[in-house]
Amino acid sequence: MTRLPRRLAALALALAAAGSACAADDVPTLLRTADRFRSGAEHLQVETLVQTVNRDGSPDKERRYTVFLQPGHKSLVLMRSPAEAGQKVLMLDDDFWLLLPGSQRPLRITPAQKLLGEASTGDIATLRWAEDYDGQLVGEEPGEPGSAARCLHLSLQAQRRGLSYQRIELWLGQQHHEPVRAELYVQSDKLAKLARFVVDTPDAPTRVNEMVLGDRLGSHKETRVRYLSRQAREIPASWLNPMYLARNPALE
Amino acid sequence: MTLVRRLIALALALTLALCGPAAPAADGAAHGEARLRWEQRSANRSGPLAAADALAPGLAPPPADAAVAELELAHTLHAAGSGLSLGLGLLAAHRRPEGGPGLDTSRVNELHLNWERGAWAASAGRRVVAWDVGHGFRPNDVVQQEERRTLAGLAPQGRPLLQLEYFGSESAAALVWVNPNRHGDGLSRQRGADEPALALRGYWQLGALDLHGFARAGEHTRASLGAALAWVAGDALELHASLRVLQRHDGWAVAAAADDAVVGANPWSQTTRGGAAQALVGFGWTGAARQSLIVEAWHDGTAPSDAAWRSWHARNAALVGSGAPAAARAGNLAWQATPLNGGSLRRDNLFVRLAWEPERWQLSADALLTPADGGRILTAALQWRGERWRLEAALRRYGGRGGSVIAQLPLRQQSLVMLGLMY
Repeated sequence: MTRLPRRLAALALALAAAGSACAADDVPTLLRTADRFRSGAEHLQVETLVQTVNRDGSPDKERRYTVFLQPGHKSLVLMRSPAEAGQKVLMLDDDFWLLLPGSQRPLRITPAQKLLGEASTGDIATLRWAEDYDGQLVGEEPGEPGSAARCLHLSLQAQRRGLSYQRIELWLGQQHHEPVRAELYVQSDKLAKLARFVVDTPDAPTRVNEMVLGDRLGSHKETRVRYLSRQAREIPASWLNPMYLARNPALE
Repeated sequence: MTLVRRLIALALALTLALCGPAAPAADGAAHGEARLRWEQRSANRSGPLAAADALAPGLAPPPADAAVAELELAHTLHAAGSGLSLGLGLLAAHRRPEGGPGLDTSRVNELHLNWERGAWAASAGRRVVAWDVGHGFRPNDVVQQEERRTLAGLAPQGRPLLQLEYFGSESAAALVWVNPNRHGDGLSRQRGADEPALALRGYWQLGALDLHGFARAGEHTRASLGAALAWVAGDALELHASLRVLQRHDGWAVAAAADDAVVGANPWSQTTRGGAAQALVGFGWTGAARQSLIVEAWHDGTAPSDAAWRSWHARNAALVGSGAPAAARAGNLAWQATPLNGGSLRRDNLFVRLAWEPERWQLSADALLTPADGGRILTAALQWRGERWRLEAALRRYGGRGGSVIAQLPLRQQSLVMLGLMY
């Protein structure tokens, strides 16, 4: 081989390595961008509607929640539907409490209890991947099998044990980096759910309006998590104290 | 029409009007449940009450089955911007025993005025203040002293109290003066959970560990100190424990003069007894298929001792074999059921509960065992929960070795079927 091809080959390898490094460095930026489509503010109040559909398409359950998201992995979920009226779930980092309206005592719950359900409290209250996951860029792939639209495929690993999903395969739109779909894996690395994100305007997305979850572990039902409203809201520190929540205070 | 019947009729009309798509409830908005329940009870053919009824039929009739209609309402009213709120909990019921007249009852479960400013909060009125960490037994639930493991699981009635609380970022403190209205009353009005007392609770959150400290000063039971913890030990495992040491406690005692003789008045009474200790250890495990297991073991030093129960058994046998008139023996045997009304019957207990929650269903089975005498209480329950409706059926059987205290209880079996409408 002559010197010129060797130099060109070496240059090409160097450029490829530099490109990969740039892409890996951009993963946190990609995640923060993707998070903005779902959250949009550091302190947030989100009104959420969760509808579960049976395999035959018939409606199963409908639940309403108010979710308060605060920095530092802190969130409070209020159950609004009559079937769950008065229930609250408090999540502080990897620590969780359930408050039932009749008991007046906060109950410590395990990560397994937080996961239970077609749409777990983790699904409802986790709107930020950048805070909770490290990731690497796998490559560019079609967004859906057979689709022409290209996506960036990220592989995410949880930074903390208390997260509902320890691994997430995430596909982001190539141009705007909006979330398109995800595969959600639990601690045992079993595929728990498939997620599909519905944005407001596909050509110029600004926010995710809905997350459609397909259960792959148990019931195989479809769950639609609709974000009815989002507003910036910083809540008092006392709302994040389980003993304060046991007083059944007004949380409006 | 009585007031209670009007309230029930109004509530039923409201609930029918609400029988549409489930509307979201704002936190603090009124919510509650309307319930219809059928209660079945089977009398025990063993034990002092059965013996009393055999000697004098009708003296201690077995409890009748009953139909119950109930309306429960909870609401909190807030004065915006003032930090003031009013909490309210009501229960109205109509109970019709089989073959007997109906009875209307109503009660205020909670009525309390609350004030909050910054990290401080205060309450005054009737309120449920429930502490401690256990499921089957809570030694440090020193304010509410809630009855555990009831079959129907209804909301308890709160205690009259004054409460002051402080909330830190990962801690909290509460000071409660419970039953201030009974301060200075005679002892008969201050027994058990009716005793005026000052109670203090400290709480600290240390990562996966919740730590609680308790102190109580009762007007006649004096001081008790306690501690409890709840620890999430793994993805699916939670451990908890609670310990309390009491300077004095209220308990049943029989008049020394009664011995094994027939007497003219109930020889059993609540008295102030000496020191005791209570302790609980337990764990909860949840599986990926929505199955769960709770196991708890506890020692309740305030329950009658083994010697006390031996004396009780001896008195039962003596009364049955006595030559006194049947009516007198029957009355004394009926009084022997008095110490069966209490919290823990035996000092050492083991509790196991299995549950499974597929979809809208909840199936559960639990057993309370008293190893000292081989007693057992077995319970099975099935619940279906819809968007607004819930249906529940439960069965409980009391038994064990023939000589066990549980096998001497007035009931052999109780069951219920309940339909509830949540709003």
